[in-house]
Amino acid sequence: MRLRRLPLNLAALAVLVVSVFPVYWMVVTAFKPTRDIQADTPQFIPLHPTLEHFRTAVGADGFGLFWRNSLLVSAGAVLLALAVAMLAAFAVARMRWRGRKAFILMVFIAQMAPWEALLIPMFIIARDTGMLDKLSMLTLIYFIVTLPFTIVTLRGFIAAIPAELEEAAQMDGASRAVAFRRVVLPLLAPGLMSTSLFGFITAWNEFAFANALIIKNQDDRTLPVWLSSFGNIFGTDWGATMAAATLFMVPVLLIFLALQRRVTTGFIAGAVKG
Amino acid sequence: MISEAPETYRPPAGPHTPTRPGPGGRRRAAKVSRAAAAWPYLLVLPTVVGTAYLLLYPLLRNVVISFQHFRTGELIRGGAAFVGLENYQDVLGSPEFWTVVRRTLAWTAVNVVLIMVISTLTALMIARLGRRMRLAVMSALVLTWATPVLAATTIFQWLFQSRLGVVNWLLVTAGFDSFDGYSWFADGDSTFAILVLLVVWQSVPFAALTLYAGLTTIPAELYESARIDGAGSWQVFRGVTFPMLRSLFGLITSLQVIWVFKCFAQIWAISQGGPDDATTTLPVYAFQVAQSLHRYDLGSAISTLTVLILLAVLVVHLRRMYSREGEEL
Amino acid sequence: MRSRFLAAAAVLTITAVLTACSSSTESPGPAGSAAAPTTLTVWVMRDSVSDSLLKSFAADYQAAHSGVTLDIQIQEWDGIGQKVTSALASNDAPDVIEVGNTQVAEYAASGGVKDLTDKAAELNGTDWLPGLAEPGKIDGRQYGIPWYAANRVVIYNKDLFAKAGVTAPPKTRDEWIDITTKLNKGGAQGIYLPGQNWYTLAGFIWDEGGDLAVQEGTTWKGALDTPQALAGMDFYKKLQALGDGPRDSDEANPPQADVFAKGDVAQLISAPGGAVAIEKANPELKGKLGFFPIPGKTADKPGAVFTGGSDLIIPEASKNQDAAYEVVKALAGEKFQTDMAKEMSYVPNRVSLAGVLSGSEGAAAMAVGAANGHATPNSPNWAAVEAKNVIKEYMTAALTGGDAAAEAAKASQVIGEILNTKS
Repeated sequence: MRLRRLPLNLAALAVLVVSVFPVYWMVVTAFKPTRDIQADTPQFIPLHPTLEHFRTAVGADGFGLFWRNSLLVSAGAVLLALAVAMLAAFAVARMRWRGRKAFILMVFIAQMAPWEALLIPMFIIARDTGMLDKLSMLTLIYFIVTLPFTIVTLRGFIAAIPAELEEAAQMDGASRAVAFRRVVLPLLAPGLMSTSLFGFITAWNEFAFANALIIKNQDDRTLPVWLSSFGNIFGTDWGATMAAATLFMVPVLLIFLALQRRVTTGFIAGAVKG
Repeated sequence: MISEAPETYRPPAGPHTPTRPGPGGRRRAAKVSRAAAAWPYLLVLPTVVGTAYLLLYPLLRNVVISFQHFRTGELIRGGAAFVGLENYQDVLGSPEFWTVVRRTLAWTAVNVVLIMVISTLTALMIARLGRRMRLAVMSALVLTWATPVLAATTIFQWLFQSRLGVVNWLLVTAGFDSFDGYSWFADGDSTFAILVLLVVWQSVPFAALTLYAGLTTIPAELYESARIDGAGSWQVFRGVTFPMLRSLFGLITSLQVIWVFKCFAQIWAISQGGPDDATTTLPVYAFQVAQSLHRYDLGSAISTLTVLILLAVLVVHLRRMYSREGEEL
Repeated sequence: MRSRFLAAAAVLTITAVLTACSSSTESPGPAGSAAAPTTLTVWVMRDSVSDSLLKSFAADYQAAHSGVTLDIQIQEWDGIGQKVTSALASNDAPDVIEVGNTQVAEYAASGGVKDLTDKAAELNGTDWLPGLAEPGKIDGRQYGIPWYAANRVVIYNKDLFAKAGVTAPPKTRDEWIDITTKLNKGGAQGIYLPGQNWYTLAGFIWDEGGDLAVQEGTTWKGALDTPQALAGMDFYKKLQALGDGPRDSDEANPPQADVFAKGDVAQLISAPGGAVAIEKANPELKGKLGFFPIPGKTADKPGAVFTGGSDLIIPEASKNQDAAYEVVKALAGEKFQTDMAKEMSYVPNRVSLAGVLSGSEGAAAMAVGAANGHATPNSPNWAAVEAKNVIKEYMTAALTGGDAAAEAAKASQVIGEILNTKS
């Protein structure tokens, strides 16, 4: 029996290593002194761990500011998308109305939008409405980028909650809104979290618009724009580069670790129904 | 309270279902239901307005630009002149465009096939693992999924760095001496391969975890009866698993097609479409033409064509989705 | 009750909108701060002028002009074309922008740059270096104001030369290869030459009598596949092999001054100002850096070099054009030009100021090379050839074992196509 499972476990181990190694290597490199990074034989465990590279990365001009900008923009976009998407997802999952199919199709097609191609129109629109060089414009764009996916997944989550629960609450005299708040919302929480996580990652990562729409007001740059000039900032200093990449990943990682269970199960529930 | 328009609430059929008379009699019910009928439209209003202004409108302007003579001067001064189909003629008449289209289709096919095969195998594997190993593998996949694109591209550049990269070291240690100081990003094919590796690495977790979730919903009895009938594992997959998850497979595949086809950030960060255009896919090509060559008009034409091509690729799925939406809720 | 649900939904949306908006209004953005009546934004390219020089200039300028704050922002070369174009097209552009002399023509032609023709006399325009003034001029109107010029020399590590027993800098290419081979021993690199330093390749091609592209009537033709150009590439390949320069990267990635600063590189091809960055990265190398002109094929003629440099422009979209002009005047004026020439070993923007360079070793080497200075093909589309990395990718292909002639033919065709595009 044990032996029969061996190939299976070996395969699992391979998946494990391939998944984790790149991230592990980033973190390990960030903690190694430069001398060890440049050693002819790579060290797979940092023998002389150091925080030197993290100091370089954090000490680099503007790191804290850009980190904060990214956080504000991403969080703002996600909250906005969740609020708007929840309404739409509810309408799609629970109601029947003329135009529903067309709406669903529209949402699906919206996911195909070639965002990078819209740089110039967006630039012109932002310029003509005085929204250039503003973080709020980025927030709005990230909101619309994440909205379609948010609707699709939330719809799945809402559909997964038996309508009978709400109906029962309404039978007991609760209004539809109350029924929604008391019954649907708590059950929806994991779904909201996992969906918001996806939106957060998308916004947190975005580079092209942040690079094109923040021009003169350089203190409003976001982290990806700043990180894209790694080579210029840290040069051959791979340690600092990896430290900065690690710090870039930290917020996402923290949310993931905190929510991991809910995210996976929640996501799974949503995906299956979607 | 029941007058809270339950008829819009999971009704058996479409919006024209005759309303059930509520306690308040026919007249009141009709009034309420008319108000209630407005509900879904109010709920989707913010989405529609937002999408119209921030997606449809820019898209429209993009299409307009594609029919204009629109270069740096027009961007700065305004006053672009319409040139009819000239830009489209330029694009469609250039052999480079068709090379890029073929490359994009190949890029999408290679990635999506790899992603779907590996994800399916991984999902089937997870379902058979012991509890602890399963948790470990799933956590690892979630970790990969959570890695931001920009961090991932930086990591891959570091892994494949020519002098200090760990991949070259591993290959040389394994006896492939020709990889000593090998510059992966100098060659078109190897850059393409690394990008495929990166995109597959990033995409498998989502697909595998979702498929695994789907697997857990299949009743065990189905498998048992198939086994009793003497089916092998491939036959079980073909006879039970795949049919049960057909729509999930369809959804994930089409999402992957969209994501891979549109993939831009990874390619731009690692190779900017090079070397020698070997990794220039349609989104990268449109960006290059518009932003590097300042030919915004041609770039707009290319991106409009990109959307049309993507729609064409997915039309079968979209049609099936559209007709299916009628039955299921 | 329905209305309550609706209200709740509305509140939710509004809160979200407010959250989104407040996230931007909260950010202070010093550039727009109300502390000073005018803040002028100046864009300077990375490594073009040293930090200390910019700082002292800003301090002096602000002291002399009360109420004016200078916000000097360093821009990266990567993607600069897109950035400057966006700035010119915006409603509130930076007030002064440094642009490379190969790119200024394109911006000047776009209509987004302020016409400064009537200021030329005040700035001693008749005395300007033609290599900077010409590209900034379109149809007789002056848009770009010359800032500085420079061409490449070889910077070398005196210690490593002494250790290898090399006493005199090479005078010809053959000597250059000989001594570099000698220097490329032990842990040291003979020369650090990244594979995509295309300005250097252009010099070698000009030495052979070739060019990057030639104009026949009104039609451009890429010329990388001529026998002369291929001979230039061949020499580049030989030289490049005498060190560990990455073949798939240029001098900015990683910054070559940092590589040289580690102390194990004997030679580097750079503008003499590169020495400032090297000494900043490793102060121990102070006084140990020497300079010589890029050797030519024969001892009587120095190697051909690309005459590089920058102009200053004021965008039409700048909200403080008059104040911006004062900054341009100061940056193009004698005081700053003299300071910059001394600190960075640049050629000042005016011919009559060239005297300030005497006594500088780097500038002397540069002046020898400048006698054989060349320019990139004179077309507003040339910037697009640069932006598309055509030459860089050809170089990498040729250096990593590709068939140089075939690759050159391919690249030449692309160059021709881009240059023949009507704008």
